Amino acid sequence: MFKRPVKEISSEFSAEEKFLPSIQRTVRESCIAAGMRRKEVSAVLLATEEAATNIIRHAYLYEKGVLRLRIVIYRKLVVISLIDFGRSFKPDSSGTLDLQRLIESGRKGGLGFYMIQKIMDSVEYISSAGRNELRMIKRITSRPSMERPFLRRMSTLRVKFSFWTFLIMAVIIAGSFYFIDRRTSQQLYNRLDETALALTKTISDQAAGHLLRSRSATEFDELVKSYIRANTELEQIVLIDNQGLVIAHSDDIRNIRKPYQAPPEVGTVAVGEPFRYVQGGQELNFLTQPIVWNGRKLGNVFVIYSSEPINEPLHKARERAIQLTLLLLLFGVFGIYLLSNYFVRPIGQITRRVRAFTSGDLESELPLEGAEEFFEISRAFNEMMTRLKQDRENIVAREKMAKEIELASQIQQTLMPTRLPEVPGLDLHAFYRAASVVGGDLYDIFEIESGRYCLAVADVSGKGVPASLVMSMLRTVIQISAADAASPAETLVKVNEYLFTNIPGGMFITIMLVFYNATGRQIEIVSAGHNPMLYYHADTGHIDRINPTGVPLGMPAMIEGSFGDKLEQVNLTLEDGDSFILYTDGITEAANAHGEQFGLDRLTSLLKEQISVDRDVTSRLICDSIVAELDDFAGFEKQADDITFIMARTAFGSESDEPPATHGSEFITVDEPSDTGTG
Amino acid sequence: MESLAISLSEGSTQVASEVRVDGVIDTATASQLEEVLESLLKRGRYKIIIDLAGVEYISSAGWGIFIANIRDIRANSGDIKLANMIPSVYEIYDLLEFDNVLRAYNSVEEARLDFGERISADPKKKVPR
Repeated sequence: MFKRPVKEISSEFSAEEKFLPSIQRTVRESCIAAGMRRKEVSAVLLATEEAATNIIRHAYLYEKGVLRLRIVIYRKLVVISLIDFGRSFKPDSSGTLDLQRLIESGRKGGLGFYMIQKIMDSVEYISSAGRNELRMIKRITSRPSMERPFLRRMSTLRVKFSFWTFLIMAVIIAGSFYFIDRRTSQQLYNRLDETALALTKTISDQAAGHLLRSRSATEFDELVKSYIRANTELEQIVLIDNQGLVIAHSDDIRNIRKPYQAPPEVGTVAVGEPFRYVQGGQELNFLTQPIVWNGRKLGNVFVIYSSEPINEPLHKARERAIQLTLLLLLFGVFGIYLLSNYFVRPIGQITRRVRAFTSGDLESELPLEGAEEFFEISRAFNEMMTRLKQDRENIVAREKMAKEIELASQIQQTLMPTRLPEVPGLDLHAFYRAASVVGGDLYDIFEIESGRYCLAVADVSGKGVPASLVMSMLRTVIQISAADAASPAETLVKVNEYLFTNIPGGMFITIMLVFYNATGRQIEIVSAGHNPMLYYHADTGHIDRINPTGVPLGMPAMIEGSFGDKLEQVNLTLEDGDSFILYTDGITEAANAHGEQFGLDRLTSLLKEQISVDRDVTSRLICDSIVAELDDFAGFEKQADDITFIMARTAFGSESDEPPATHGSEFITVDEPSDTGTG
Repeated sequence: MESLAISLSEGSTQVASEVRVDGVIDTATASQLEEVLESLLKRGRYKIIIDLAGVEYISSAGWGIFIANIRDIRANSGDIKLANMIPSVYEIYDLLEFDNVLRAYNSVEEARLDFGERISADPKKKVPR
């Protein structure tokens, strides 16, 4: 996910508050080195201090310990990990913390984690095999503005591609234009020169004839002038004899008998080869040809002709070539446009898709098309999205669940008695531990009237918030109904009547209700489809399962009989040392990794063993050993259901009205909800 | 360890008590401040101005003291008002969204005025300045 780290720093500290400044210093230096802004550095320091303090206080409880600090700096983020080997404590209600709630609760704790979460971009708590890691990630926001400079914006793949292809195309076209142009002009010149040469040769032949016949100067003049007249491209014709004196001059007759002077622009000239020069803005060609008769040289012909005749065809040819070039360029640009589109489109598609993804569209997939590379990218991206989608769904589900659990367990906490009454003659201890998925367990112990007490353990079917809400109602209903009921059976009938009209269909409750009369040490037991009570007879050492018949509360109208008809009540008198336990199926159905259940037999023998080892063992100790045994049994399996039970003992030799040794809330053990069976 | 100095001024004419804090409020020193606040609350002085001009740093333990007591204080129609936070402290205050919970003022006078304005609704009481 991340690029390669730029830097990694690991150091180890003794978990003591006096080392906090050293930890802070390390973090500060790393953050500054990573390019974090000052404001953010101080925030990160605060978060680190909170985290470290938490570890010292809560993970190690100020005991000796090791605090490992690991900082990994990436280009755009810093990961700060604090690792300890102390007590694992899950930061409570992670993710759902809000300030208002903290204030409502008036607690100071929790604020630290709230701050860490506020400051950091991401916080993870990883706990396994005795090693706890709090991993905090802070992004480094770049200091320069996000506006990209124009040149950078222009250097898109498309622009680059277009620029280079256009350049290459232009060079090729210009090259071919130059080549074609040169060839056409060459051809035209050749034709012009050939014509001129032919003419010159003809003139030379005629001049040779004239010379042999010693014609007059006028005739020579007439010869050259006639050629000038007949051929517009000829500018000048000059004939000289072999002494170099002019015989005939088409321009000026006065040059006759004078030595011939070639135009100053003309340099050395080979016979029969035109020499091109420019005079007065006009291109002229100078050509010389000897006048020969039977191998005897009689003189020379000099001809100057203009390039004028080829100007027009050359111009036309050029025009055509330019038109063609432009057309080619036009096609080329169009082609480049199409090509760049073709290549860039998949990128655009992917970009759009990623954007859509970041703004929440998780559904649509990228079409698998285009070049192999894009095909691969699209496929990889689709895979990534699928994975992310799954993760997100998981996270959403988990968060939703966590929220529900939190809410439910909050409700549940308020439902459970915070303080149990002192029940004379009974050593009572209650235990409750919510499962990670909140179940609907309930227990209650309260005084109905002086000397009469009610013990209740119930299990509401279903889990989560609905079950919790029903529980809250149930507890109140039991307390009210018990107040003016003569027996637990009567109480349950009333409770059922009330619930029947007030709970949603399909939800039912099993409950065991025990009334305890302190003066006679009698108990009356009813059960609405609940797990049997385990009753230990001190005199025989035998454990009975007491399971009065009864159907669960809230069951729909029965085919025959009413709820009350089915309800059986068992009355017992407690003897010295007699003990009993009320529990929910959270104990008996606790499973280990092999899917094996803890079971009633294990509970029975455990109870027997505890009491037989020490007949004065307190309820609290029994509770503790049951929980220990249960956790040992479940191992790392998740606790699937609430574990709830009430353990009650009568002391040896105490005849009732002596209050128990323990007081108030000490009766209760309430465990925090835990993920694993080992709490 | 960093140290913390706290001075308390509560004139009889003044409605609000002023707590001037200097130093660093962290896990080690927070308890001192907590004691001072508790003593104020015990004496029924619920209108409190904390002058943070000399405070370089407040850890969660420090913020926790304000947060923990604010509900009770408001229930007694009082308030905790923070004055003179230095920029680095204010940034944290802002980042952690404490502005939803505790009000901040540029000076002690402003905070006093805010307490005063509320009281001025009751004409029998004198507006302190």
